[in-house]
Amino acid sequence: MHDLIANLWLGMSVAFTFTNVSLCLIGALVGTLIGVLPGIGSLATIAMLLPITFGLPPVGALIMLAGIYYGAQYGGSTTSILVNIPGESSSVVTCLDGHEMAKQGRAGPALAIAAIGSFFAGCVATVLVAALGAPLTAMALLFGPAEYFSLMVLGLIFAVVLAKGSVLKALTMILTGLLLSMIGSDLETGAERMTWGVPELSDGIGFVVVGMGMFGFGEILRNLESPGSREIINTKVTGLMPTLPDLKASAGAIGRGTVIGSLLGILPGGGAIIASFAAYTLEKKVSKNPLRFGRGAIEGVAAPEAANNAAAQTSFIPLLTLGIPPNPVMALMVGAMTIHGIVPGPQVMTKQPELFWGMIASMWLGNLMLIVINLPLVGMWVRLLRVPYRHLFPMIVIFCCIGVYSLNNAPFDVSLTAIFGVVGYWLVKHDFEPAPMILGFVLGPLMEENLRRAMLIARGDATVFLTRPISGTLLAIAFVMLALAVLPSLRAKREEVFTE
Amino acid sequence: MSDATPSGEWSRSADARRQYNLVGGIILAVAALGLFVWSFWVNNPVPLPVRSSIIIFFAVGIAISAGLLRVQNPQDVYGGMALILLSLTALVASNDLPGMRGFAFGPGTAPRLFAFLLAILSLGVVVVGFLKRGPDITGYKIQGVVFIIGSILAFAACIRPLGLVIASFATVVICAAAAEDGKWRETLIVAIVITIFCSFLFPYGLNLPFQLWPRFW
Repeated sequence: MHDLIANLWLGMSVAFTFTNVSLCLIGALVGTLIGVLPGIGSLATIAMLLPITFGLPPVGALIMLAGIYYGAQYGGSTTSILVNIPGESSSVVTCLDGHEMAKQGRAGPALAIAAIGSFFAGCVATVLVAALGAPLTAMALLFGPAEYFSLMVLGLIFAVVLAKGSVLKALTMILTGLLLSMIGSDLETGAERMTWGVPELSDGIGFVVVGMGMFGFGEILRNLESPGSREIINTKVTGLMPTLPDLKASAGAIGRGTVIGSLLGILPGGGAIIASFAAYTLEKKVSKNPLRFGRGAIEGVAAPEAANNAAAQTSFIPLLTLGIPPNPVMALMVGAMTIHGIVPGPQVMTKQPELFWGMIASMWLGNLMLIVINLPLVGMWVRLLRVPYRHLFPMIVIFCCIGVYSLNNAPFDVSLTAIFGVVGYWLVKHDFEPAPMILGFVLGPLMEENLRRAMLIARGDATVFLTRPISGTLLAIAFVMLALAVLPSLRAKREEVFTE
Repeated sequence: MSDATPSGEWSRSADARRQYNLVGGIILAVAALGLFVWSFWVNNPVPLPVRSSIIIFFAVGIAISAGLLRVQNPQDVYGGMALILLSLTALVASNDLPGMRGFAFGPGTAPRLFAFLLAILSLGVVVVGFLKRGPDITGYKIQGVVFIIGSILAFAACIRPLGLVIASFATVVICAAAAEDGKWRETLIVAIVITIFCSFLFPYGLNLPFQLWPRFW
């Protein structure tokens, strides 16, 4: 306990320097700005803004990226409430009641309660990350290659189970990602693999290239298909502060949402989306008057917003302690860390404590920033939403192009991104989810490395994954999850959750 | 994520569907043929199972286009077939990489393992697509694809020789043509504004090494 406070103190002292506070502020502001633009999720936002952190020292860069992440997330809920367009998949649920509230002229309280809920959840999750960081890092020392491999299998299976749509198709997406990640030089022998003699491919395909192509350009292509009517709330957003009954009604919802979100966020495989769905469903179940939901119930905004923010934050736990990115956004964080010469994993905490704890403290700071900057700026976000899409997407495209180009100063990367944009569009057309593929792509090299090592240590005995206790347990959980997802009765329930 | 109608109803007429399958099947068959020919060009002889899978793939493509196989769920059938093609391509491409040496993995082991698993699972997707009815694939927006992709490629082509100013202006103008409701005058104004913004933000504001103008002098 004393350690925890000392560590958090160290973190605060790093995060509260003038430069870092302003970096956090800029990050949160720019993140919200981009996140508010409809049709760009947090992944594309971070990828787009990655180049602006290049010139910074590592701690500052990570603090800014974390700020961008929360900003983008919060921006997503703003569009959900005001325009009924979820900025990203985790704020889909917020649309249901949030937009309804806005229609009734209560957009202000809806936005405020979303910010307050997120802030509360952020505070709890920050403490949780700090508290769980050390023990989990100690656990990481027990992990050998076999355990790491099994853990990643479990993470991928979670991603399949928690994604909507066909389990089989999600599995094929993961394998596609794994296969694509094999392109490039082999880590151990240096042999060129599936590069067709293209020298630019010998380094492998960059994660940003795939992510930006599939989520940035792919989204634009899809949005162009259905320009759709954007009904923006025309009435002025007045009366930001929620009333006392509002606060009373949402207090419990925020608490429950935070707990669900924190728990589901630690699970690898994109916990934030399922967390917001689960929190909403739970609120509906415990409510005395479930009929109010979907008609502007404030609990319906508070709970999912708290849940997805808590999950967004606790998803840093697997990344910081085990070095395994649990979702595509965290994978992008790995990319960003690598650019700054940091290898994510248990050693970060022992070797660079100021970085680890500074980042954790900045998470809390980022949430505080959001509540401070967003409430006064709501009017500006509304005006931004009125910019027609035909002016927005050229801007997004050019920013994405410059972002990808500036990573390696390689025009080839930009062309490759275009190809992945088409691939992403094609996948959505055929009802494949791109998210599991990205996760597979990120984990591919790590999985191969650990698989190879485990097999080498066990002298070619593949049963090592089952006989080692931790590894065996992880695989057993993965198997049970998969079996449950395929079972017809549970599948029906899963679809029910997603259609709500 | 998907815009597909969940009801599983077909949105096309019978004729349109037949034509779609005709063209789709031919594309699959031609791609398989190309892969087959290419498999003779690589250094090591490609193993027989892979070659025969390519032949079977070719036959399925022909069967689809001739209407011998009834496509119940086009999304699954074409999606799965494309992934099978991808894994067969990977098997051919990783063919010359050494595999297991004793109990040590070679560079080719993992790619072949993943490709093999992908092929098996995709086969499952295809089979399901032949058995269970599903929604049609909605039409592609060709205008959007051509201009967006064109603008990105234009950026890639221009940035080195012509510099950031020309590259970003060209990209924005080409890109804006993807919208159906675009107006030329507006587009030019937006393009100029974005270009000015980018040429100040990235090289000066963020200190990234961008060259602004063509390298004539």
